Amino acid sequence: MRKEKLIVLIMIPILSFPGVLQSKDALSSPLKVVEPISMEPRRLALETAGAFENDGFRIRDGEWRGALSKGIPAFLQVTLFAGENYWFVAASPTTGALLRVTVYDASGKPVKSEFWHNAANSEGTRSATGVAPTQSGKYFIGVERMKSPNEGPLDFSLVYCYK
Amino acid sequence: MVYLEIMLTGRHFGVLALMAIGCHGAESMDTSNTPMTEPQKQGAVFLDALSVPSPGEVFTALNKACRPNWATLVTPATAPVTTERSQLALAVGVLTANGYVAVEAQDGQQVKNVGRELMALSKSLGVSQSLIGRGNSLMEFAENNDWDGLADELEATENEIKNTMVEQKDRDLVTLTSAAAWLRGLEVSTDVILASDSLQGAGVLYQPELARRIVSQIDALPDRIKRGVLVTAVKQTLETTASLLENQDSKPEPKSDILRKNYTKIHADCSAVVKTILSSSSAALPASHSPAPISNPSKS
Repeated sequence: MRKEKLIVLIMIPILSFPGVLQSKDALSSPLKVVEPISMEPRRLALETAGAFENDGFRIRDGEWRGALSKGIPAFLQVTLFAGENYWFVAASPTTGALLRVTVYDASGKPVKSEFWHNAANSEGTRSATGVAPTQSGKYFIGVERMKSPNEGPLDFSLVYCYK
Repeated sequence: MVYLEIMLTGRHFGVLALMAIGCHGAESMDTSNTPMTEPQKQGAVFLDALSVPSPGEVFTALNKACRPNWATLVTPATAPVTTERSQLALAVGVLTANGYVAVEAQDGQQVKNVGRELMALSKSLGVSQSLIGRGNSLMEFAENNDWDGLADELEATENEIKNTMVEQKDRDLVTLTSAAAWLRGLEVSTDVILASDSLQGAGVLYQPELARRIVSQIDALPDRIKRGVLVTAVKQTLETTASLLENQDSKPEPKSDILRKNYTKIHADCSAVVKTILSSSSAALPASHSPAPISNPSKS
């Protein structure tokens, strides 16, 4: 009987104030509330990369996602092959923002590339960089936030395609 | 500085296609001129799904460098009968790479076989629930000879198996799947290159850093996994491969005897480890399996 009373005493405040489960302390408990991951950056990146599929490019199934702070670029290591053509596409759902994608060689020097980004008035922000490496090996892809209408971190997704 | 180098017509076609999808007034954009700093290079993200090239990507590069006879490279393979999860994860990688070979050879029946074996493996790993649809898609694409669709679906299937491993707190197995896929890709690629008198396509395989990186990932696995006989063999093969690749000249078309000797050894080591991964009795590895230590082959 005592046990039942104890359970009732614990349950009353929880049922009366469900917000208690989302309090700061509660976030570290197993009842942690996890925010759903937005698929929008990936959708925009894939939509943009899709344009290259018509030209025989194949999109890798993987995705690099993250959040960019002002003045702090993010880097991804990749392996590229001589003779192949690549397009790296980064996108963010924040309209009015601007992303810059740069390809660096193994020593960290920027590689000659082609660039594209969408117009400011279109949905979200999307930038792409195309390279045709002359040597196989390690490369780095840098993504920078050039501008953003918001001060907070800018969510982005990067995909790439090859031919 | 804006680099507007004319690279390939297809690439410009791609840009035009992008402009046509409704991005009014697309404009060219400045790039970063600043080299990366050492901390930035050290801190770069390494993602299994993007940083390790898929076998399909390696084979596409090979297709450009030479003209492999893919039909001769198709090997019927069955999933090993084992309860050892490390071996099952390694076998997923090998079979996925086999699927890519079958796609390149446009061998629909073999793709279907690979699809069936992958489903069997995912069932043994307990990750099959979300993969039934993938299996059906593989069969459907194979029926319709949709080779591009098949290549995409193979990568998606491999990634879905890996994602399910992560969800089921088996993240460590993902490293093994990628390592095995890369080794099987290397076995096939060295086979192709060695068949050419002038070792055409050799430059494609110059990836010692990737081999080293996968070795460091294996080193980071829990002891219970990395001390397994098969995982140790995979690691040794990768280390030997990295050393042999580092001991070659990185010129685009090296044609020396040293290169042939190195690639012959890489091929033999990869073949042995792949065979063991697919063996149903790999618990007892043959003594000859472990790659012999190398004594600076470039000087031999």
